[in-house]
Amino acid sequence: MTHKDLWPSIEPLLAGVERPARYIDREWGAAHSVDADYRAVLIYPDTYEIGMANQGLAILYERLNSTKDVAAERAYVPWEDMSSAMRSVGVPLFSLESCAPVSSFDLVGITLPYELTYSNVLEVLDLADIPLRACDRGDGDPLVLGGGPCAYNPEPVAPFFDAILIGEGEEGLIDVVAAHRKARDAGSSRSEMLRALAQVHGVYVPSLYTPVYSDDGALVSVESSGGAPDKVSKRVVQDLSAHPVPTCPVVPFMDVVHDRATVEILRGCTRGCRFCQAGMVYRPVRERPADMIIHDVMENLACTGYEEVSLTSLSTTDHSQIEEILRRLRRRLEGSAISVSLPSLRVDRFGVSMARLASSGKKSGLTFAPEAGTQRLRDAINKNVNEEELLATVEQAFQSGWRRVKLYFMIGLPTETDEDVRGIGEMVTRVFAVARAAVPPDQRGAIRVGISVSTLVPKAHTPYQWEPQISLEEVRRRQSVLRESMPRKGVDLSWHDSDVSFLEATMARGGRQLSDVIENAWRSGARFDAWTENYDLAVWRRAFDEAGIVPESIANQPFSFDDVLPWGHISCGASETYLIRERQRTDTGQLTEDCSFGGCTGCDVCDDLGVDVKLGGTRGHR
Amino acid sequence: MAIGEFRLRIGYSKCGRARFLSHLEVMRALERSARRAQLAYAVTKGFSPHMKVAFGPALPVGTAGDREYFDIWLTAYSPASDVMSDLIAATPADLAPTAAQYVGGKEPSLSAAIAVAEYRVEMDQSEVDEEQFRTALDAVVASGELTVEQKKKTKVYDLTKSLSKEPSVKVDEGKVIVEMAVRMGPDGAMRPDALIRTALQRAHIAGATVLVTRTDVFIEEGDVLRRPL
Repeated sequence: MTHKDLWPSIEPLLAGVERPARYIDREWGAAHSVDADYRAVLIYPDTYEIGMANQGLAILYERLNSTKDVAAERAYVPWEDMSSAMRSVGVPLFSLESCAPVSSFDLVGITLPYELTYSNVLEVLDLADIPLRACDRGDGDPLVLGGGPCAYNPEPVAPFFDAILIGEGEEGLIDVVAAHRKARDAGSSRSEMLRALAQVHGVYVPSLYTPVYSDDGALVSVESSGGAPDKVSKRVVQDLSAHPVPTCPVVPFMDVVHDRATVEILRGCTRGCRFCQAGMVYRPVRERPADMIIHDVMENLACTGYEEVSLTSLSTTDHSQIEEILRRLRRRLEGSAISVSLPSLRVDRFGVSMARLASSGKKSGLTFAPEAGTQRLRDAINKNVNEEELLATVEQAFQSGWRRVKLYFMIGLPTETDEDVRGIGEMVTRVFAVARAAVPPDQRGAIRVGISVSTLVPKAHTPYQWEPQISLEEVRRRQSVLRESMPRKGVDLSWHDSDVSFLEATMARGGRQLSDVIENAWRSGARFDAWTENYDLAVWRRAFDEAGIVPESIANQPFSFDDVLPWGHISCGASETYLIRERQRTDTGQLTEDCSFGGCTGCDVCDDLGVDVKLGGTRGHR
Repeated sequence: MAIGEFRLRIGYSKCGRARFLSHLEVMRALERSARRAQLAYAVTKGFSPHMKVAFGPALPVGTAGDREYFDIWLTAYSPASDVMSDLIAATPADLAPTAAQYVGGKEPSLSAAIAVAEYRVEMDQSEVDEEQFRTALDAVVASGELTVEQKKKTKVYDLTKSLSKEPSVKVDEGKVIVEMAVRMGPDGAMRPDALIRTALQRAHIAGATVLVTRTDVFIEEGDVLRRPL
């Protein structure tokens, strides 16, 4: 297939748009393989500066480009000034590296990072001149493949995708490419090709699954056809060491979010917080060995020239060799002004000492997530943190020179009462007092305690997948209860917008019928819904009305354990038995321990998927 | 300059697609090049240590530069040509270094010392009628003043002071080319494209693509102008 270079049509548009660096390519590390036999474009459904931070796509970009005869390029959603300029002169969505139309690629891969990008998925397809719905695509159209975190409930966007890869892509995407290429070279029809893809482990082909509803609209079953498996299980990589982190990723010119080198040091977290989807779907825990991490950090820094490296994971200080890793990096990076950063820390003093070891001077701020305000509720959600430890941690942080901490809390958790909500304010009051006592009087003015409060969005494949989100009115009531309980001074309180959480919950818990809503909303101008200034619940409400769907009936209604769930044909390996048991333990406040520290807790992931916990050393209780 | 530090001045161009980068983006990109090239860069003392480096006057987004400069302080001496080839190998082609030379510790900073900049502005002859444009530009220059609206602020430039060389207009290979020299000052300098756009407006020419390149910058010593390198 010939690839048109659209740059001559794009360049004249750049003088009139904000931040043209989003569209110019030519960054250090960008891959330009001119004559690959199979070409893929990987798309993040938001702007360049948000999408460039995505490690998953960076891994897949590197994997595909190091596969023989395969090339991968990048594309992002142009901001509204650029997309209207493009539409006015008839320029379609283009890839960055070769400036080729996205529709001319063999594979268009779109990651699904959060629900609020769904309108942008349609913007991508429309701007690319690709039919929005898989059923309207023909043999000349590319394969539109989805993946990423939201693929665990793919139903709301299922009709827009030809196929969706569930789980980790290191091996899965390579298998998809091989199967697609084989079908393409054999001259298979589109439906033959899709049936072949459905045979690839971890691939969900929505058109081969039909939801069946009862007369009252309840989901009765999801029928598979064309030889597709009844249940699609996630892909999971047994040994991370077999898949080195990309050490020469693209280094953006633009100031993107998380503009630093990242090295993933472990994957998965089995602390078992009952609300946490990441903790359920990225199981089991797999650590990279320390030697490999040191090597990858040094190679990454040498190749990218970054001034900061972040050791990423869901729970970085849980790595059994974290102390050794930080000490060795500190030695290696001495005198270079290159800093090491850790993502949000567990609430324990060990976390603060690790942050001290990493920071060597600059102490910008520490982030902790106690999540709930009372011990009863923290036990109910299996957040294994007690207040004594939190206060000791905060004290240590302020004594060590930090002046800013940020605490994350949630409201709307199952079994939550007003007492729990007020407990947040009371806890913050004590945190603030401890911080003041730990800081010399002349520096107390610098103390900042940031409190960020979000509303629970019950997610698929968690023990709370049956739970409703609390109603918008109830969210606002609990927010005012919380506000009254907060100390008046020295605390910066911020909320996750309840209108946004409501749409997230609807999309997270809904089924395939929501695709009409998403299309309606996009046609009415919904774009970049994750950008506060762009989000308008009224647009979405009209879209629900037009589709005859009441969003409250999805967001705010519980499922029973017997119901067929919209995502029931997708499996992350954690068994329903385990999830139900964990949900029931919420009511009794019974804790479940972390299997990477102690014994197996019976989530069934390892048995189901043929994998195992993999540690670099022994994790000790601290 | 601390003892044991060597101040190396690097000349580079900002061309091709890199013209769309902001000054901050260029600085960050070149600092990353210096790290990739594993230069023995000095680090500032203090609470938040960083690479010791200083850039010349900023170029706006969309404006290219043929002879741009930055100074970097090294803790070990290597021949300038070696440093330059290492840097070239570690820099995106559109920002590639073109010259390198050690300068004395007492040399004034680039941002303070650069007093005059020369620009070339290119427009397409198919979009801009040369005669019409020239007449309009002459009239603006003769008025002695340029009023620029920027971010809801109005700024008035005295053209007899802002222009150190009056604009010349020529036609070459289908391009209308304007060359001029602008004085740089502590309060910033007049942007050549502002002058060109005012002239275009006066000539009732709309929708023309205007490509601006800073072709040279000069340090003023008495009555003499010299290049930083």
